[in-house]
Amino acid sequence: MAKSPSFIGSLKPAGPESLTNLVIIVLALVFFGTFLFYTDIDSIIVFYLFYCFIFIIIGQGWNIVAGYTGQISLGSHAFFGIGAYTTAIIWLRDITHTWYFFDPLVMFLSGLAAAVFAVIIGIPILSRLRGDYFSFATLAAAQVFTVLVLRGGKLTEGAMGLRIPGTLFEDLGIYYWTGLLLAILATAAVFFVTRSRLGLALRAISEDEMSAASHGISVLRYKLIAFAIGAFIIGVGGNLYAYYIFSISPPAVLNLNWLFYPILVCILGGNGTIGGPVIGGFVVGAIVVFSETLIGRVHPMVSGVLIILVMKFLPTGLIGLKAKVFQRH
Amino acid sequence: MHLLEGEGVSIHFGGLAAVSDVSFYIDQGEVLGLIGPNGAGKTTLFNLISSCYVPRPGILKFKGKNITGMSPYKICRLGIARTFQTVKIFANMPVIDNVRIGSLFGNTRSPASAEANQQSIELLEFVGLSRVMNTPARDLTLANQKRLEVARALATKPELLMLDELMAGLNPTEVAQAMDLVRQIRDKGITIIMIEHVMKAIMSVCGRIIVLHHGQKIAEGTPQEIANSKTVIEVYLGE
Ligand SMILES: Nc1ncnc2c1ncn2[C@@H]1O[C@H](COP(=O)(O)OP(=O)(O)OP(=O)(O)O)[C@@H](O)[C@H]1O
Ligand SMILES: [Mg+2]
Repeated sequence: MAKSPSFIGSLKPAGPESLTNLVIIVLALVFFGTFLFYTDIDSIIVFYLFYCFIFIIIGQGWNIVAGYTGQISLGSHAFFGIGAYTTAIIWLRDITHTWYFFDPLVMFLSGLAAAVFAVIIGIPILSRLRGDYFSFATLAAAQVFTVLVLRGGKLTEGAMGLRIPGTLFEDLGIYYWTGLLLAILATAAVFFVTRSRLGLALRAISEDEMSAASHGISVLRYKLIAFAIGAFIIGVGGNLYAYYIFSISPPAVLNLNWLFYPILVCILGGNGTIGGPVIGGFVVGAIVVFSETLIGRVHPMVSGVLIILVMKFLPTGLIGLKAKVFQRH
Repeated sequence: MHLLEGEGVSIHFGGLAAVSDVSFYIDQGEVLGLIGPNGAGKTTLFNLISSCYVPRPGILKFKGKNITGMSPYKICRLGIARTFQTVKIFANMPVIDNVRIGSLFGNTRSPASAEANQQSIELLEFVGLSRVMNTPARDLTLANQKRLEVARALATKPELLMLDELMAGLNPTEVAQAMDLVRQIRDKGITIIMIEHVMKAIMSVCGRIIVLHHGQKIAEGTPQEIANSKTVIEVYLGE
């Protein structure tokens, strides 16, 4: 008799590919885990990697919704902004009485705020709309949120934004370590979701909603959970970014780049895969850091055009190239 | 009390009355046939029962309880399962995962993973698919895809199973196998409504038949009565 799968998710037999994956993961962890011990901490490389980690985080947040339920969210910048603003508001109003700077509680609450927002907009949107209409509605909700922030009075200080104290900054070390840890956690979260009961439901939903529902899957519930988890992860990304820019304003954290970056990360690396957004994160990180140091600011138009080019010429992402290589054997 | 009961069930798509004022019932243990020309509204009636559409107007009751407008996933957990005429298996998943989904999500109490695996393997053996358990579902032949539809519907442990043209597109050997399968399911104590164009199958397996035409119920009776009904013969010859 054939071996029965022991995992919830489907198990592929351990072939050369999964062994290669394991080796790659271990090597990457060793490399990044020791990197700071032989690099100048204030070098541009560390700064670059910090950016990559942010991109991996927000990429995975988008991946869990787009890659595994097939719903293209265009509201990431709102989740990212909520994460950043929540961090600033909690800190400036001294709400949690903790140490605020790289504070796990504040990180968690920043993600949570984004997840709550996702549930609030997700219930009406996901229960009625799918496909393109879902996308438009998330974009609309995010833009409404941006307007609310601009008109937020004392709470958000409108277009001026909020400034969190920069006095705690010493070097990039803590940025690197926290970014690395969160990027690993975000990736692990996606991995475990896809291997879980939830992941099985999401895959069924992305294949055929009517069929999924007819087999007992609450489509709304699982889509909402995925949407909220994705928002949580992106919100944590916003928190991390807030510690880096100190000045949290709509142009900084709610601009459309934060809508485009996660999409670019995923489709460039490979949407709906675990490793895709990791690869995508490093590539997009390179593009962004390079152009920021060279030309100052990346216009959202650039990332938009890049998305179109990648979809046209590399529809399965960079990770798809690897699959092609393996197929040849 | 009937197992399932519909009162004046109707639905319109634009100007088209796809199902109009259909009242019906089915009792525990029956095999009920649902026939009618193309476009008669048979599949739509299944969609109404499984709550993919909500009847307007009309009432559906399962074991005396009003289930009109309930979410499809709740209908499934209540014990009503179905297969799809246009096969809707999860094509990119392995065969076994298709069935495990039914088992893991289709019951009010979700079984443990190992238990779900065990159930799924047994069901695949029951429908004769245990050898292709780990194949992606899309690679199955049509006949096997239909068996898979049945297996994963059974995985939700239904009291009522609705089969939508299980035998369409199958060759005579496969039709005979499918008829056997239907009988075996009935012998497990599962009540069945089946839509079928293969008359031989309908006539030999069903205890009672309902005929739909242009969304309306035009006849109902034993296979014998239906075969001799003037209205039914006219409808079929008129096509
Ligand atoms: N979602 C829908 N929107 C619009 N019209 C629909 C919809 N579903 C079904 N119809 C129409 O309702 C009528 C009944 O369709 P249905 O699929 O129920 O027929 P059927 O009896 O199952 O036919 P067949 O034997 O060909 O499967 C058809 O005219 C069909 O085009
Ligand atoms: Mg039909």
